[in-house]
Amino acid sequence: MAQASFATREQVDFVVVGSGAAGGIVTRELATAGFSVVVLEQGPYLQPGDFRHDEWSYTQNEELVWGSRKGHPQTFRRLESEKAEVVDGAPLGYAHNVGGSSVHFSGNFWRLHPIDFNEASVRGTIAGTNFTDWPISYDELEPYYTRVDWEIGVSGTTGPWDPPRSRDYPCPPMPVKSAGVLLERAARALGYTAFPAPVAILSQPFNGRPACIHCGFCNGFGCEVAAKSSTAVTMIPQALATGNCELRTGCTVSRINTANDGRVNEVVYWEEDGTEQAQRAKAVVLCANGAETPRLLFLSASDQHPDGLANSSGMVGRNLMFNGSSNAAGLFPEAINGHKSIATTRVIHDFYSIDPKHGFYGGGGIDSRSLTRGLPMAAAMRGGIFSGASWGSDFKRGLAEEFTHTASFNGHCTTLPLSSNNITLDPEVKDKWGRPALRTTFMNHSDDIATMKFFHDVSMELLDAAGAIKKVGAYARNGQTGGVHLLGTCRMGNDPATSVVDRFNRAHDVPNLFMVDGSSMVTSGRGQPTMTIMALAFRAADHIIQAARRNEI
Amino acid sequence: MKEIEFSRRAFLRHSLLAIRNSMIVLSLPAILQSVANASEATLQGNSFTTLNTEEAVELAAIAARIIPSDETPGANEAGVIHFIDNVMGTSRPEVLGPLRDGLASLQNTVRATLTERKFSELDPQQQDAILQGIEDTPFFATMRYLTIAGMFSLPEYGGNRDYAGWKLIGFEHRHVWEPPFGFYDADYMARGE
Repeated sequence: MAQASFATREQVDFVVVGSGAAGGIVTRELATAGFSVVVLEQGPYLQPGDFRHDEWSYTQNEELVWGSRKGHPQTFRRLESEKAEVVDGAPLGYAHNVGGSSVHFSGNFWRLHPIDFNEASVRGTIAGTNFTDWPISYDELEPYYTRVDWEIGVSGTTGPWDPPRSRDYPCPPMPVKSAGVLLERAARALGYTAFPAPVAILSQPFNGRPACIHCGFCNGFGCEVAAKSSTAVTMIPQALATGNCELRTGCTVSRINTANDGRVNEVVYWEEDGTEQAQRAKAVVLCANGAETPRLLFLSASDQHPDGLANSSGMVGRNLMFNGSSNAAGLFPEAINGHKSIATTRVIHDFYSIDPKHGFYGGGGIDSRSLTRGLPMAAAMRGGIFSGASWGSDFKRGLAEEFTHTASFNGHCTTLPLSSNNITLDPEVKDKWGRPALRTTFMNHSDDIATMKFFHDVSMELLDAAGAIKKVGAYARNGQTGGVHLLGTCRMGNDPATSVVDRFNRAHDVPNLFMVDGSSMVTSGRGQPTMTIMALAFRAADHIIQAARRNEI
Repeated sequence: MKEIEFSRRAFLRHSLLAIRNSMIVLSLPAILQSVANASEATLQGNSFTTLNTEEAVELAAIAARIIPSDETPGANEAGVIHFIDNVMGTSRPEVLGPLRDGLASLQNTVRATLTERKFSELDPQQQDAILQGIEDTPFFATMRYLTIAGMFSLPEYGGNRDYAGWKLIGFEHRHVWEPPFGFYDADYMARGE
């Protein structure tokens, strides 16, 4: 069936803002259930044939991840007492296109573990933080994780390292890369377990899509054969095929309007040429990501919602979490060729929860990668990893040696939710539409930094065990200055005084408004949140559909 | 192109040695003119759209020290200057002004510290010494950035000719790879781990 077409004055059942990891799923579920849906997406609908191995464009000219160059400056500061400055590029990075960041992500697809949902109860709260339990358990989310596996297409293998799962992976693991072999052997030598990284990339044909061809331009790029399981090649085409859904690309939302009764009734947006439109809707689902969703809520302040839509708790935008990270690169005697195939093929979860006796809270995993995503320009920009030279003949010789012979063991770990880490509207800087720019205030809790150091140190030991000739490592010892996992800014909870959405992603304050994306995550998990964002989206959609059918929206 | 470049280098080296020995000072303008002609020859193949020829010669000389031509091709053979010329007129117009200012400042430094007129007319050792003195400046950072970007971007942007940059580091551009990807996974498969 052809894509639907609705008039803006016609009241559709749902407007979904954002077509990414969560928006794609919510849209497909609502449209399949028979509801009329309009999806608004800032970026274009790129097809597999549009994606190119163009490092200059993708990594240096904001092809997918927009920042100042595309008229979307962001500002950053450490503390709420400071003035935020415009930062080059996009400190909070997310792709602007149909499928959102599920198009350019690495496809790393960890589920959360049961402990992630009730860790504050098990381990105890942490003074000065908003560390708390989720209002749902792993068991409640597990069926939706499995739906993601089978609806989206995930490659992996079941093992003792997995949290409990009701069904095996649909596709076997991806072939191991040399960096993965080195991590696996090092782990074995030190008594740890490396297992095949689960990824949302097809190791064999599935649901009409082909297997990965290992082209190497994966993380940061779009898949040219649709083997990466983005919502752009899975959920969105299915949603459009229902005939109940209209996808409007190049549309930037300016605000969500509120009726006198406090309910949302209209989404105002600009088309690409600047024409303003307003789509009437019975309900609105914000899937704009952990940065843009709170920004839109602030932009939608009204008499009924003076501090921002759905913000009676004052928690909108707060508790911003990334995932901590560390890297440790080793030079090896033989060729590794990190520029071929996917980002990572082996992961260690032996330190999913770091022993509290270390004196700080944290946990995470270590996976095998290329330090610079296997990209020639990125490797050269980084340059002199082991030679120390950054230009000249020694730099050249260093690059020639390093590019093919370097493996990196990367830590991915927890960060704690803090009120002082947040998204707000910049008071001065505006984007190309005249909207206040996204302002990030962020300084890691000391436990985050201790956790990153822990993973850095373990990774360096693993490099020794792997036989690295030279090694060099890094982590954000002074705190992170940005991230791509944008979490926690509309946290889920049972108490309207301390959370923004309820356990089914409905705004506490506004019965016909839902926030479904990384913003509802209560804790950061250990890394790779997209799997959880997608599972939450399937779960939220289930409950939205049931509530709508009961006329309870 | 490579041949011309090497002969120019040799010519320069000999000339400057001669200058230092005060043997041919009077014929300097003629020598420098022929050097400039040789430099222009290395830049042929595309006309410049944003840079003027003198700027192109000077910036190319800087790029050629950041990624030199030694046992393998460098920025010169890769046509990095054509990338720079291209992006100054397309994706980086805001950089052109600062780049020109930086170049002017560099030339002042050259004139103040050495007898020759322009950076491109120095021998490689002198050029390196000058660049080491400005390593921490935004101008040098910009030149390093643009040189690397031009060396390793798709050739359609003007640089990385004949995939000189990619060949240098062992990157082969393909759309399809099959395992084994490297030594260790081949070994892993062979051992049946």
